[in-house]
Amino acid sequence: MSYSITDKCIGCSICKKVCPTDAIEGKNDKIHTIEPKLCIDCGACGKICPQESVKDSFHNTCIRIRFRSRWEKPVINREKCMSCNICIEACPVDCLKLSYTKDNKDIRGYPFLENERACIACCFCAVECPVDAIEMVAPAK
Amino acid sequence: MDKGYMGKVLWVDLSSGKIDEETIPDSVYVKYLSGLGLGAYLLYSRIPADADPLGPENILGFLSGLLTGTGSLFTGRWMVVGKSPLTGGWGDANCGGNFSPSIKRCGYDGIFFKGTSKKPVYLFVDKGKAEIKDASRFWGMDTVETEKSLIKEADCKKPRVACIGPAGEKLSLISGICNDLGRMAARSGLGAVMGSKKLKAVVLGGAMRIKSHSPDKIKKLSRTCNTATKDQSQFIKGIMSARIGTLMRVLPTQMAMDGKMYISMLDKWGTASMNQISIEIGDSPIKNWKGSNKDFGTEKSELLNPDVFTDSVFVKYHCYSCPLGCGGICSIKGKYSETHKPEYETVLAFGGLCMNNDPDSIFYLNEVLNRAGMDTISAGGTVAFALECYEKGIITKKETGGLELTWGNSSAIVALVEKIVKREGIGDLLADGSKVAAQKIGNNSMQYAIQAGGQELAMHDGRNDPGFALHNCVEPTPGRHTIGSQLYYEMFQLWKKIKGLPDVKFIYSKNSKYLPDREKTIAAAACSKYMNVMNGAGCCLFGAFLGANRLPLFDWLNAATGWEKTPDQYMEIGERIQTLRQMFNIKHGIEPKDYKMSDRALGRPPLEEGANKGRSIDIEKMIGDYWEQFGWDTKTGKPTDACLKRLGI
Repeated sequence: MSYSITDKCIGCSICKKVCPTDAIEGKNDKIHTIEPKLCIDCGACGKICPQESVKDSFHNTCIRIRFRSRWEKPVINREKCMSCNICIEACPVDCLKLSYTKDNKDIRGYPFLENERACIACCFCAVECPVDAIEMVAPAK
Repeated sequence: MDKGYMGKVLWVDLSSGKIDEETIPDSVYVKYLSGLGLGAYLLYSRIPADADPLGPENILGFLSGLLTGTGSLFTGRWMVVGKSPLTGGWGDANCGGNFSPSIKRCGYDGIFFKGTSKKPVYLFVDKGKAEIKDASRFWGMDTVETEKSLIKEADCKKPRVACIGPAGEKLSLISGICNDLGRMAARSGLGAVMGSKKLKAVVLGGAMRIKSHSPDKIKKLSRTCNTATKDQSQFIKGIMSARIGTLMRVLPTQMAMDGKMYISMLDKWGTASMNQISIEIGDSPIKNWKGSNKDFGTEKSELLNPDVFTDSVFVKYHCYSCPLGCGGICSIKGKYSETHKPEYETVLAFGGLCMNNDPDSIFYLNEVLNRAGMDTISAGGTVAFALECYEKGIITKKETGGLELTWGNSSAIVALVEKIVKREGIGDLLADGSKVAAQKIGNNSMQYAIQAGGQELAMHDGRNDPGFALHNCVEPTPGRHTIGSQLYYEMFQLWKKIKGLPDVKFIYSKNSKYLPDREKTIAAAACSKYMNVMNGAGCCLFGAFLGANRLPLFDWLNAATGWEKTPDQYMEIGERIQTLRQMFNIKHGIEPKDYKMSDRALGRPPLEEGANKGRSIDIEKMIGDYWEQFGWDTKTGKPTDACLKRLGI
C-alpha cells in the first residue's frame, strides 16, 4: 500500500520537497513517482500538489489544501496526556518536542508543537496516541 | 498482514563491510516472539561454540520488542544480545529510552553485527539505506558527547543513538551500551563486545509505520491499563519510608505485596523510593554483603532518603510508551550540571554496599559511569570488593596509588571509580569486575568477590528473599535481579491468568519464605517464563508490577499479531526462550551449576545480626527443583531430549 502519482503531474517537484522520507523521485517537468517501500502514507504530497495528481493508498484523489498554514495542527490535551513520548516518536518530521523548564513546579513534561512550519498534518501523533489526547485542528482563517 | 513486527532483520558484517537484509518467517515469531526470543533463535545457531566473545565470530544484536510501537504501554525497551565476555555464556541486557521504536521505524526487528572493523565506525540507517561510517573522531568521547555529536552530524530528522563510552572502547568486561544520554543496557558486559568490534554507535533515523492487526483493540486495552496506573492514592514523605521498612522488619508476618502500591511509589520517587525501606527490611546488602541494617541504620541512610533524589529532579523522564515515568533529570553540583536520576541499584551499590552516605558522591558517580558506559551495579560491587581487600590488607596503598580505601570514604571511592573507567593504575585491575580481579590478586580474595558466574549481584539480598538468590543462580544470564523473586511473584499475580499456579496468601508467616518447598520453584519458573515473554514483547518489568490482570500483555500480543493464543501458550513460548538460552550456554561449555553465587550472599556462614540474622539458603535443592520445572536434568541443568522435543527446539 502506498500513495501514487498520476499523469496529471507536471513535475513541479513541490511534493519531493515536502516528503519526509525522500520517497518521491523525478526530474523537473517530468512525471514524478513514489517508491512504495519508502512511502509512509503521510499524505503530505497529496495536500500540497497543485495539480491534485496524487492518489492515496485506496486510490482516492487527494484534495489540495492550498495554504500550508491552513493544514491541521496537533492540539494537545494535557489533562489526558500521559507524557509517554509516543506522539514525539510517531512524528516523521520531528516537530513535536517535550516542554519543561528548570523552575517548573509541575515536573511532568508535555509534548508541544515546537516547529509549526515543519508539521505536515500527517496526523500520526493523533492516530498513535493511545489515550486520544491529541486533536488535529485546522487553524482559523 | 500487519502483525506488530516488521518481519526483517539487518545483518552488518564489520569485517567485509557487507550489509544484508534477512526476512524472518512468521513461524519464528510464533515460536519465539521478537526481541529477546528472536535474538536467542538467531544467535544460538550462528555463534560457533568456541567463539571468542571479543572476537569476530561473536554476534551483537540490537532488537526491539514485538509490542514496541503498537500503541501498547510500558513496551519501549530494546534488547542487546550476544555472547557475554563477562560470563562466557549467553549475554543480554535491555534498556528503555526512545531508541527501541527507531529500530522498527527503520524497518527491522533487529540489527545484528558480526566481524570486527579495523577502524572505529558507526552504523547509520535512514530512508531505507544502511551505511557504515567512520567514527574515528568520536572514539574516546564519553557517551553524552558521542550522542550529542552524532545527532548534530546525522543527516536525518530524528536521529536516535545507542553508543559505547570509553569503558566499552577499553574492553571493560563490565561495560554497557548507552542511549538517551545516560540510559544503559548495562549487564552482561556487552559494551566490550561492541568495543571489540570497533563499533562506536548505532544511529537510526527511520519513519516507517509500525502496523498491528487490531490497533483499536490495542488502544482500548492501553486506556484501561493507563487508568490502573494513574489510580493512585497520595503518598507519604520520603523520610517516612525508612520507618515503614523498620516496621516491616520487626513484624513476624508479612503482607502479600500488591504491585500497585509500588507503582505509586515509582511514580513519585522512581526506584529511589526503596533506598531506605530496602536497607531496613534486609533487602539491600550492606558492607560487601557482610554487614546488615545495624551497620547502616536509619541515621546513616537518611542522607540517601528518596526525597534527596526527587527534590533535584527538574523534569520527570518517561521512556517510550510509559505512562508512569519513574525516571527524572536532576540538576547536580560540580563538574556536570545534569544527570539521570540515580536508580536504587546505583544508590545502594555506592551507598550501603560501600558504607557511603554522601549523596553528592553518588550523583557524581552516576554521571561518571553513565558517561563512561559502565554498569553501576558491577562497578559498585567491584569497588566494595576492593574496599574489603584493602581492609584485609590484601591490597595496600602501594597498589591503590595512595588511595585510602576505607569503608565510606567517599572521596577515595570517587577517585577509585575514576581510575577504573580510565583503566589507570589499580583501575585496570578492577575494570573487568570483581571475579577477574580476584583471580589476578589471588591471596584468597575470591571469597570477597560477590558474584554469580562472574557477574556482580544486584542490590537485592537472597537472605531476605530467597527468590532473588535462586534467579541469580539459575538464569542463563546469572546475577540478574530483573527476572523473579518471591516478591516479584506476588506482584506479577500470574495465578490470576495462568492455570495451576499457586496463589499467595494475603498474610503469611515470614519464616515460610525460607522453606525451599516445591511451590516456590513453581513460582520461580513461572517468573522466568513470563519475563521471557515480556522481553520478547519489549515490556518493562515495572509494567509487570501492575499485576497480570492489569497489564494486558497477552491480550496486547494477540491484538498486535492477530493470533489467538492463550496465556498458557505464551508461557510455553517463555519456556522455549529460556530453554534455548540455557542450550546456548551448554553449547558454549558452561556448566550451569557453576553459576551458583558466592557463599557469603547465600548466608554461608549466616549473618550474626540484623534483619537477615541466622539465615542461610538451601540453594542446591532449589536449583534442582527449578531445573525440574523446565524438564532439564536435575543434576546438571542440561535440557533433556524430551524437553527439547516437547518445545520444538
